[in-house]
Amino acid sequence: MIYLLLLPAAIMLILSFWSVEKTRFVLPVTSLFILFPSISLFVLSKPYSIWGNYLVADDLSAYVMLVSSIVAIGVTLSVSTLSLHVEISNSAYSKFYRFFAIFWIGLTISILANDMGLYWIGLETATLSTVYMIKTNNTTMARREAWNYMIVGAIAISLVLFGIILIYASAKPILGEEAMKFSALLSSAKEIKSPFLFEIGFAITILGMFIKMGFFPMNLWLANVERASFYPIAALFSGILESAVIIGFFKFTKIAQLINPLHVFIFVFTYTILTIFIVSFLIYRSKDFMRLFSLSGVEHMALIALFWAAGGVFGALLHFGAHAFLKPALFLSTGILESKGKYKIAGALKGYSGIKGKIFYFLTALFLLSIISLPPSPMFFSELYGFSSMIQIAKENKHLLLMIGAIVLLLVLLSIIFYRFVEIYQSMKYEGVEEKRVVYGNEVLALLVFALSLAGLLTPWTFEFLRGIS
Amino acid sequence: MINFLIGFFLATLIVALFTMRLYRLILWYSLNSLSLALLAITIGVNIDDNTMIISGFFTLVLKALLIPYILKRASLQFGLSRQIAPNIEVHHSIILIPALLVFTFYLAEPITNLISVNANYVAISISSLFLSLLLMIEHKNIAPKIIGFLAIENSLFLLGTTATNGMPMLIELGIFLDLLMAIVIINLLFKQEEELV
Repeated sequence: MIYLLLLPAAIMLILSFWSVEKTRFVLPVTSLFILFPSISLFVLSKPYSIWGNYLVADDLSAYVMLVSSIVAIGVTLSVSTLSLHVEISNSAYSKFYRFFAIFWIGLTISILANDMGLYWIGLETATLSTVYMIKTNNTTMARREAWNYMIVGAIAISLVLFGIILIYASAKPILGEEAMKFSALLSSAKEIKSPFLFEIGFAITILGMFIKMGFFPMNLWLANVERASFYPIAALFSGILESAVIIGFFKFTKIAQLINPLHVFIFVFTYTILTIFIVSFLIYRSKDFMRLFSLSGVEHMALIALFWAAGGVFGALLHFGAHAFLKPALFLSTGILESKGKYKIAGALKGYSGIKGKIFYFLTALFLLSIISLPPSPMFFSELYGFSSMIQIAKENKHLLLMIGAIVLLLVLLSIIFYRFVEIYQSMKYEGVEEKRVVYGNEVLALLVFALSLAGLLTPWTFEFLRGIS
Repeated sequence: MINFLIGFFLATLIVALFTMRLYRLILWYSLNSLSLALLAITIGVNIDDNTMIISGFFTLVLKALLIPYILKRASLQFGLSRQIAPNIEVHHSIILIPALLVFTFYLAEPITNLISVNANYVAISISSLFLSLLLMIEHKNIAPKIIGFLAIENSLFLLGTTATNGMPMLIELGIFLDLLMAIVIINLLFKQEEELV
């Protein structure tokens, strides 16, 4: 299985050294093969050992793997016409695929890792490979942001490693070298003799992950990086790289909840509310699509973390899936709307004619309205389930009034974001002048992949599967 | 011996914070890595842990020799500025660094109370982590920031060595591999800077 999982990336890596003219359409096709091992992970009985006790697939990792595979296919499909929207050299195009292959290897390792250290190695590999992907955009801003990403990303990742070492130190006296394994920690968490050390390690790890996801106080760094990158790279950041971070959050939180669930909830609750508070006002003031969607990504990751910490596994996973499909779709749409770097929000949705143009118009509007949780978007349901899990945890801890107050505050903040998105949507649709715009077949196909996947999240089968993940 | 090496580790990092020349900074990083390598080898020999001895040798080759060599070569090749005056004045640093050391020892106290062996070493590694962050913050140039990042990695390695008596071999190797990849990426970034100029 491990060969099947890594083979498409290996082929892509080799092909990236060939002439771009020969491989321009072969490379996206290669990415299709990513999907087959991800689907087969679902069929196998779990937990399924992929590489000893180091890489193990369970329902959670199989789900994240499948979602990431679909996003990867959608993004690579759209890359083949990237040169028609932005100025990109052939060598930069090859380098994108070369580093995408390394990125995919790192990502696969971190998603399937049953070992904290291996998880970190995968995440670091994926992070480092994206640094160079940012630089495929040959501008001063991209150069500066690549360095910024390298430095801030390195600090965030170092914090994660720092926390992992403390967690390992807390559990090593009872588990030995097995203390690195998520499964061993999960089964013996209650026996850890120094829970304080574990919790310190957990808090530092989560802090590193939150910085990496653009949470408070680093709310703008990711938005700047995504603004400076080409749109498929921004889509990779929001759709896949953040998935690798959040699965780590899920795994670490599950263990920490066995030690002291209330501490975990209070820590995550305070942090995410603070993040959403700041991000909602930043969204209100944002003046371009990329920053808008990037900041909205931070808001949604905060909601996912909050729902998960409140025990709303179903709500968190549904929200995660919906966000992973919607955000890359919106970034790809942005790339088309901003073709050749020229764009205005007013009238941005006007001027798309023909079948492809109309489908693009419809899908972009659908994604825009879905991201603000209008029903029947999966986000509407996930937020309902997420908020109900918050009420449930408050009932158990007899802090119901406080929680209702917090949910009201959250709803006020979300309504600010809602208002801004609706305002932008109306401006795109009704204001401005109409200009003829072009959209290509592969881009529409990529957006259709995302739309169908989004619809797939609403099927009873998906609901049943997600409910089965504990 | 261990006390001497750990003291030397901290001293090299403190001196690095006052350094105003790039090659000197690379040298201090190399010495910092050397003390780390010798420390891992010594602890490994004391507790009869072959994994730690091997990772000590890896540290010696990779961090004390190879990475400083690559960095120096890159600085020559890409004409990096050798003047790297820190943003924080020296007379301020003289007060700031001991204050930071005292603060981190105080901050690490609850953690060190929970660790039975090498508790002071854990406090020193946490202090080193903060000093490395200071190294990153106090410089505008990119090269010292990279060395700051590498020093953070050294501090974490020291923490892993002292707080846990070493991490599993596979993880140590993976971290080394990632560090090498980071150096390759840094080189590529410098190279592209040069092409643009």
